[in-house]
Amino acid sequence: MTESASPHPPGADLNRRDFLRSLAGLGGAAVALQALDQLALDPEQAVARYEAQLQELIYAEGTHLESLDVLERMRVELHRALEKSPAERRWVMVIDLRKCVGCHACTVACIAENKLPPGVVYRPVIEEEIGTYPNVARRFVPRPCMQCENPPCVPVCPVNATYTNEEGIVEMNYERCIGCRYCITACPYSARTADFGFTYTQGNANADGLILGSDIADSYERAPNFEYGKQYPRQPGRSSPVGNARKCHFCQHRILNGQLPACVTTCIGRATLFGDANDPDSLVAELIASPNVMRLREELGTEPRVYYLV
Amino acid sequence: MAQAVQPQEGAAPPAGSRFRFEWRWTDFFWILGVVLLIAGAASMWQRLTEGLAPTNLTSYVPWGVWVGFYDYLVWMEVGSLLIFTGLIYLFGDKLLLKVKPIVLFTGFTIVTMGLLIVLLDLGHPERFWHVLVYAEFSSMITWMVWLHSAYLLILTLELAIVLWGGRRLAGLLKPLALVSLPVGLALIIVSGSIFGVVAARPLWNTASLPLMFLLSALAAGSGLLLFLVVVFWKEKNSSEYTALVNKLSVITRTLLLAGVFAASVIAFTMLYKGGGNPTRAEALNLILTGPYWWSFWIVHILLGVLIPLALLFLAPAKPLLAGIAAFLSSITFVAVTLNIVIPTLVTEELKGLATAFVDPKLALDYVPNTMEWLVLAFIFGIGSVIFGLGLRFLPLQSQHTEATHD
Repeated sequence: MTESASPHPPGADLNRRDFLRSLAGLGGAAVALQALDQLALDPEQAVARYEAQLQELIYAEGTHLESLDVLERMRVELHRALEKSPAERRWVMVIDLRKCVGCHACTVACIAENKLPPGVVYRPVIEEEIGTYPNVARRFVPRPCMQCENPPCVPVCPVNATYTNEEGIVEMNYERCIGCRYCITACPYSARTADFGFTYTQGNANADGLILGSDIADSYERAPNFEYGKQYPRQPGRSSPVGNARKCHFCQHRILNGQLPACVTTCIGRATLFGDANDPDSLVAELIASPNVMRLREELGTEPRVYYLV
Repeated sequence: MAQAVQPQEGAAPPAGSRFRFEWRWTDFFWILGVVLLIAGAASMWQRLTEGLAPTNLTSYVPWGVWVGFYDYLVWMEVGSLLIFTGLIYLFGDKLLLKVKPIVLFTGFTIVTMGLLIVLLDLGHPERFWHVLVYAEFSSMITWMVWLHSAYLLILTLELAIVLWGGRRLAGLLKPLALVSLPVGLALIIVSGSIFGVVAARPLWNTASLPLMFLLSALAAGSGLLLFLVVVFWKEKNSSEYTALVNKLSVITRTLLLAGVFAASVIAFTMLYKGGGNPTRAEALNLILTGPYWWSFWIVHILLGVLIPLALLFLAPAKPLLAGIAAFLSSITFVAVTLNIVIPTLVTEELKGLATAFVDPKLALDYVPNTMEWLVLAFIFGIGSVIFGLGLRFLPLQSQHTEATHD
């Protein structure tokens, strides 16, 4: 039906529609606010309720996961994958470049999750300019560790401090690493960075009672990260991971606790997707089979587990 | 007839005699060493307490001037000893035995400096023993550490026998020297393979790189050997000295020419545009025409190749000129190792990465800072003090022969 065929004048129709939409929006906002309020008042209960709903979804027969938000779907699939033995899982990441808006939320979330110090970054977002003026386009390419099936960084390590675990994630053994940085030179994606031992607040003044000096202000960056299921508080001195090579590990510590990697949950455009490629029904398995998939520097034969949709 | 090392110049004074300090020209080495130690002490302290943070190294340029100098020292030490040992034990040139103590001691000093440099380049130098205990032999660095340690051990044994072994152990010198040949060759090849096997860096990732390392090491090492002969040979008026200098001059210039030829062939192939690798060509162009073009063209090609070649060709029978040529050639080879290590790393692997997340330690620019140079000065200070004290207190300039044991 065309606008001219409408029994009501266009203005009146729009007004009513807008009015109804506003009401719905307000209602939705009120519900959301109520939920947030409830979460704030009793976060444990809210999380427990959410987890219970998730469990229902995981074990419910015939649930159409396609109808869920992709984050919900990925969490359900993640839980299902975790029920398998580690060797049966094959974690992959899919990044939809058409949806990435270059907000860098994933980079920031990764830094917050892993308490990354200055100079260490696991997931920068490369901004590419394609063409020349006036025919210019921009593209954003997040670059986590590719978790290669043939990782060039692994065999070059002289002390076996980096290796591929059963699930295909390339891990670091911080306590064993001697800091030769050979793995950094060998990675074709520059996905490893060296931890030179900086902190954000170093050099800031201290004056008890007058200012919130670095001794107190840096407590947030002294808190431990949970990489590889351990705790690494950033204490003064040169203890690991200071002096080591560091890299993205798909937030393995989160995965094993049933949580998606931090970059996935924070992606505002649902552009970063994660899951078990060995599950034929998973979202990622479906996506990596599509024809518009590419991987970075495939000619090197590294077989990355990070796929890009273009 | 074999003779044990006879303490002459440089030996401790006889017991009972009154010690009187006499300045010698060789004291220059330890005095220079002390100056370098003082100059580098603060930076060394900084390195020990703050790690690699004060360096200009970044995550994208993780290796810099220290790795370049390490390779240079390996070239010098192993190259000179390969030529030296090969000439004596494979080609029967017994004349060189006369400088064996000083050549071995120079090698020992350089090996020690090399190991110290590579140790300081580690993020966790206190864990160096992990390479021995948790060795992963798929890594070229493991092989490098093991071979370098083995080489140091062989060299120390040889030196100890030459200096203090007397006739009783002199028979071990030839087997030790012969073992040092394959170990030295392997060390050079492995040092080149550390770079050669890295597929991520197209300029390094060529089968020819380890072979170029060998050729360069031999060229740099023959220069060092010639220089040591010119400086430390005692009977400079003898005909055998002139003949030896002439022979080493021919070897040095031949190796220099061979190196230039091989490097040119490789460079032309890499720069070929039709179907070539653009990243590789970009890194090579950075060496040839980048901001540090002078380190290649002036330091290496002019001072290290052309002038030495001219001197070695024009004045083969003039030891002084040959010595200058050898000095220039061997000392400027450091420009080659630095140009192998750094320009490749400052070439971006993924376009736009350097600006994706901005931090001083995520930069692609790298120029060694004062602290890095001063730490090197400290290491060279250690080497210079060891060398100078050795010249003063060890019988390094004594005549040494192993005739009956060959």
